[in-house]
Amino acid sequence: MRLVNHLIVRITLIFSVIMLLWTVVYLLLQMREIHVGNDEGLINLKQEFIARSNRIDGFVETMEKQSPLNLAVREITQQEAEGILEHFVTTTIWFATEEEREEVRMLVSAFRCERNEKFYRLEFFTSTVETDDLTKNMLYLVCGLWLMLTLSILAVSRTVITRANKAFYELLGELDKFHLDNSKMIALPQTRIREYVQLNQSVKELLERVIRSFTDQKIFLENSSHEMQTPVAVAIAKLELLLEKQQDQPENAAEIASILAILNRLKRLNTRLLLLSKIKNNQFPDVREIDLGKLVDEILVDFRELAEYKKIAVTCEIDEASVCRMNEDLAYILLSNLIKNAITHNEEEGSVAIHVTRDHFSVANTGTEAATQVFDRYRNDSHNRESSGLGLSIAKSICDLYGFSIGYSFEGGMHRFVISF
Amino acid sequence: MKILIIEDELALMQAMEEFLVGERYVVEKATNFLTAMDKALMYDYDCILLDINLPGGSGFRVLEEMKKEGKSGNIIIISARNSLEDKILGLDSGADDYLTKPFHLSELHARIKAVWRRKQMDGKQNLQMGNVLVDFVERTVCVDGESLNLNRKEFDLFSFFATNINRLLSKEAVAEHVWGDHMDMADNFDFVYSQVKNLRKKLKDHHADTVVENVYGIGYKLTI
Repeated sequence: MRLVNHLIVRITLIFSVIMLLWTVVYLLLQMREIHVGNDEGLINLKQEFIARSNRIDGFVETMEKQSPLNLAVREITQQEAEGILEHFVTTTIWFATEEEREEVRMLVSAFRCERNEKFYRLEFFTSTVETDDLTKNMLYLVCGLWLMLTLSILAVSRTVITRANKAFYELLGELDKFHLDNSKMIALPQTRIREYVQLNQSVKELLERVIRSFTDQKIFLENSSHEMQTPVAVAIAKLELLLEKQQDQPENAAEIASILAILNRLKRLNTRLLLLSKIKNNQFPDVREIDLGKLVDEILVDFRELAEYKKIAVTCEIDEASVCRMNEDLAYILLSNLIKNAITHNEEEGSVAIHVTRDHFSVANTGTEAATQVFDRYRNDSHNRESSGLGLSIAKSICDLYGFSIGYSFEGGMHRFVISF
Repeated sequence: MKILIIEDELALMQAMEEFLVGERYVVEKATNFLTAMDKALMYDYDCILLDINLPGGSGFRVLEEMKKEGKSGNIIIISARNSLEDKILGLDSGADDYLTKPFHLSELHARIKAVWRRKQMDGKQNLQMGNVLVDFVERTVCVDGESLNLNRKEFDLFSFFATNINRLLSKEAVAEHVWGDHMDMADNFDFVYSQVKNLRKKLKDHHADTVVENVYGIGYKLTI
């Protein structure tokens, strides 16, 4: 989960719960207030009624007879009156006008009229329909408010957090793009937030150190490989001369020849390391359109005798004129390495199938078991001492340089390398 | 044949000199830029072996100056820098070949011979050894006028042997000549061995005067 979303969800959830609690408390308080208001109204009505009854002759009797909408008066005995404790009830009554029962709040009480000395039971009521409506409206309003606030918090926290973390995400994006091979410093995002300024600074220093040591190492590797060429050249030349002189001494000659063989291995290894480091440093700037089909044909001519000698049937299928932009020498090195690999690491009387399409190059050869970590340097499953073990690693580097993907698979007894351009 | 070696690494210079003198070349030496300029511009050579990194200046400038003066020696650049740009620049500046250090002396010899052959006026590039005739233009080998049916690699092998006749060639040098230096030598020695075997058989079948000797554990030698 993204940090921003994580924060937003947390903040919004917490705030919405807090606001929900507040809303409930507010609603309950408001409803209580409304009920208390109703009840007070009924008590006022009762007091007014009793006052009028005591002041005006025949008021009670008239009221008892007329039975107005909001009260009911009934004469009772003193015992009954003493049994009535003033209280409120919520009940329903039949309203003839509305032709339905409605919920009402009712005050039940009893009193003794001072005018005629009689006891009466009093019922005052008021419809709660309106207050219910009011409560309902309030509920809607409050819920709406709650929703609006939640949404606002969501929007505000989102904006604020995203803005505040912009530098952080930009830095992450830049770090993602960072590649040691091109040794280019990333663009640090502008920010005023102190922690991010600090983070920028630390990242900058770290990357600079990494780039510097990587570059140093690269230069060192290249220089030392270069410097080694001349002494090796001298040693090889001198030994070849010595070999000439020792021709009639077979034992010495064989000894010298074995040293020469070792020096030659060193030389080849060195050449390949130099090539690898040059590919990684992109020192092959001369890029042009390469006709892969034509190139494959040329390479196959070079390897024809080798394939014949190993009794390997090479089939080549070139679908469409596949053209890709790359350095000519690297294209040759790439394809010839793969094809050579398929021919040499093959079974007796095996086969090699090459397939070139518009955006793929694949080469498959017969084999017994799947190889692992084929692109690693010095990985050499065949334990062949003469192989530098760098061929496939070079192929991989070339593909990386041009953004091609190269894959290896083993199925149906065939090793297969596929390059997608 | 007169050859000028321009090379600042003395040990390598000595080895090349000894080898080329052994091949009956007349060898002149220059170990720095100024001497190189003097000699290259003042005298004529059949072949100049030119190192690029020289004390006092670049080998490319020697090439440029020679071009300006209208001098065309057969120039082979010998450089530790195995970069394509250098190769192209060198060949564009008038060099005839480019050899990367380290190299086999036999390979150097083959290159000198090839460059020299290309500059022959009559355009014929034949080499007669007893009853064997090598035609480098048509890429054919004839014994007593009868053509040997050689495949490409077999011809490459035989021409390499022929230019280095009577010389012991290590199997590395042979394999590298046949394959160039891009290749791993894995599995290639037995391939070279089989090609040599075929070649030897074809020569024998045609009763050629030249014989490819197999020097056990070391390499091969063409003798007459």
